Amino acid sequence: MNEKGKSRIVQYLDERIRIRSLMSFLLDEPMPGGANWAYVFGSMVLFTLILQFLTGIMLAFYYGGTPDHAWDSVNYIDHLTYGGMNVGRLIRGLHYWGASMMVVLVGVHLLQVFLWGAYKKPREIMWLVGVVLLALTMTAAFTGYLLPWDERAYWGTIVGTNMIGLIPMIGPILKSAIRGGIGLGALTLSHFFTIHTMVLPSIFILFVVFHMVIFRRIGPAGPFSGNSLDLEARKEFFYPRQILMDAIGMLAVFLVIASLAILRPPGLESVANPSNASYSPTPAWYFDWIFQLLKMIRPEILGVVGLPVLIGFVLILLPFFDTRPERSPFRRPFAVFSALVVLGTIMGLSVEANRGFRQLVPLDPASYTRGKVVFEKSGCMGCHMVSGKGGRLGPDLSEEGLVGHPEDWLVTQFVKSTSHFPNSPMPSFSYLKPDQLHDLAQYISSLGRAGWPDPTK
Amino acid sequence: MNEPVILRLGVPVLNQDGQQVGTLEKLVFSETERKITELVVRDLASLKRVLMTQVSAMSAHSIALSCRGTLESFPVFDPSEFEEVPTWFFPPGYQIEIGSLVTLKPSDIRAMGEAAACSRREFMARSTAVVAGLIGISLFVPIGGYILAAAKSKVSDHWVPLSIPVSQLPVDSPVSHTFRAISVSGWMRVPVERTVWLIRHSSPQDPMSLPEDQKLGLDSKLEKQFSDPLLTVLSPICPHLGCSPQWNENQKLFICPCHHSIYELNGSRVSGPAPRPMDTLPVKIGKDGEISIMYEQFAIGIPEKVRLA
Repeated sequence: MNEKGKSRIVQYLDERIRIRSLMSFLLDEPMPGGANWAYVFGSMVLFTLILQFLTGIMLAFYYGGTPDHAWDSVNYIDHLTYGGMNVGRLIRGLHYWGASMMVVLVGVHLLQVFLWGAYKKPREIMWLVGVVLLALTMTAAFTGYLLPWDERAYWGTIVGTNMIGLIPMIGPILKSAIRGGIGLGALTLSHFFTIHTMVLPSIFILFVVFHMVIFRRIGPAGPFSGNSLDLEARKEFFYPRQILMDAIGMLAVFLVIASLAILRPPGLESVANPSNASYSPTPAWYFDWIFQLLKMIRPEILGVVGLPVLIGFVLILLPFFDTRPERSPFRRPFAVFSALVVLGTIMGLSVEANRGFRQLVPLDPASYTRGKVVFEKSGCMGCHMVSGKGGRLGPDLSEEGLVGHPEDWLVTQFVKSTSHFPNSPMPSFSYLKPDQLHDLAQYISSLGRAGWPDPTK
Repeated sequence: MNEPVILRLGVPVLNQDGQQVGTLEKLVFSETERKITELVVRDLASLKRVLMTQVSAMSAHSIALSCRGTLESFPVFDPSEFEEVPTWFFPPGYQIEIGSLVTLKPSDIRAMGEAAACSRREFMARSTAVVAGLIGISLFVPIGGYILAAAKSKVSDHWVPLSIPVSQLPVDSPVSHTFRAISVSGWMRVPVERTVWLIRHSSPQDPMSLPEDQKLGLDSKLEKQFSDPLLTVLSPICPHLGCSPQWNENQKLFICPCHHSIYELNGSRVSGPAPRPMDTLPVKIGKDGEISIMYEQFAIGIPEKVRLA
């Protein structure tokens, strides 16, 4: 479009909706001290939220929110292709990694605001709205975890909702209300789906608008040091330099999320099985530190209720207790030190939690596909059952991959079963070549974790 | 909040001795401090900048300064260094006549000159559009594919054995045969009942044994490959608007009850609004006379026989 046509459209809109003054209101935000790369995190969080909205709507197009459809519909999404591109898995991957990225960026944004002292007067209310947005983010992460209705989702939510049940007085009734009954079932899934896709997005939009309106009225805090004359002299507007920086930051976030979605697509474990007592659930990585704290703190109630309440109180009260106008982190050693201690503790606890988790064998699709042939040709089905097919002499192997035996254990089991189970009647498969044993071990490790049939074929 | 400071355009500005040295013209606003830092006073010669710290008293009628003499030694106000402040930036605690507030222009405009800064702004705006476009395209291509993926998913071809041998069918009298099939609906496999017309012919020489579709060359490769001179299988769906034509034994014709399209035994259209003959379906007859068919659906309302994906 040429300049003349453009200006005619602007002219038309200006006469009707006052577009010039609106754009000026949105874009000509004065930034004391000028644009800065340190200010891009808020925009990055907003971008991940929009990405979650978009990909979430896409997922809802093909999702069936009942226990007898949820898993199948997610498996269906995983197999949707268009022109050779695995679009379904990509969209699901963007949503999955977008959630992780959003949690990280909300944390970074909070830390930056804290270090810059930007929560101090007159920005206390903006900080409080931010705390609500943090709580919404964590609730969205928690409710989204159940929706694929696989083993991980089911057992993770059993533990998560049991924790809510430990709250004194209101705990049991709250837990039953969230679950829609005593146990986890159809109502839990539809409750979580509704909370995740209707309740939270509405509240999100409301509080993001609050956050931005307050920001726009009170303006950015700017650098934590420097005299005001100098900051006024170096002042810039949000448009164009800061908006370019923000856009580049968003592009970087998108590239990271997209690469993760392509290189590490989210898995789907076997469908939720309430009778699988041996399953050991693990939370999403950003809740690992809470998981570890719960293991360490006794009684549990102290961790379950005490910890979130403590964190909530500290975050809510911070701007009202810390009223010194000093903003520079270099002159607030105690604040910076506490932030570093909290951050270090969270990281340490997460690492410790991960060491306690059972490590599952990494899967190679080509190898476990070959292993399936070995499994079928070697007559394993004579004794073992997989997905309802096979014999009953040996144990059912449908979810064997979730047990987490390492490869050498499995190979020993194939070749010399009696070294694990002295009375085992399992024959020795020592005639298999090392390659075949590897493939077979891969196949056994994939059971209950991958290799689901393609429902679009 | 204290009493709001009322600042009115044109009020007299007085020096310490009470002599008028000028009138209030503009106010300079610091966006960083979010308060008014200077007054712009018009004296006889020009506009002068007076810091707020030199103001000793202020009322709605006059402003008193703490200096003596005229404003000659004060710095001159250069309007090109300043710009007007939009009303939504007016600081709380001041009552100002609209249009009288100015603020220091951003440094890049001052340093580079307005023309250079504008072209730099233009460049940054374009760069932003490019970055946004990159994200948009790489997001909307997969989303578009994702939306179309289900619509474009291929129907897999299944041969359905009808468990009825040809020998049991009456000659030259269509039989409406119902069978069970599996319909694919998203991730679900739904059992459904479907119906086809089975028409057994007396011999390959019978003119009715050649389906009209084949005569007109409407058939696809699949239907051409799988046809039988002794058996025609017709879809029960009227190619006009999707109703179900019924066989009239007396007139020996298929008649659609909805819009009265009339077809012969081989599907050829005798009269009515239908755009093409009734659709033949692929059929195989096994060695033992078992009939297998492939159930297909075609776009309705058009003269061509286009299979639905």
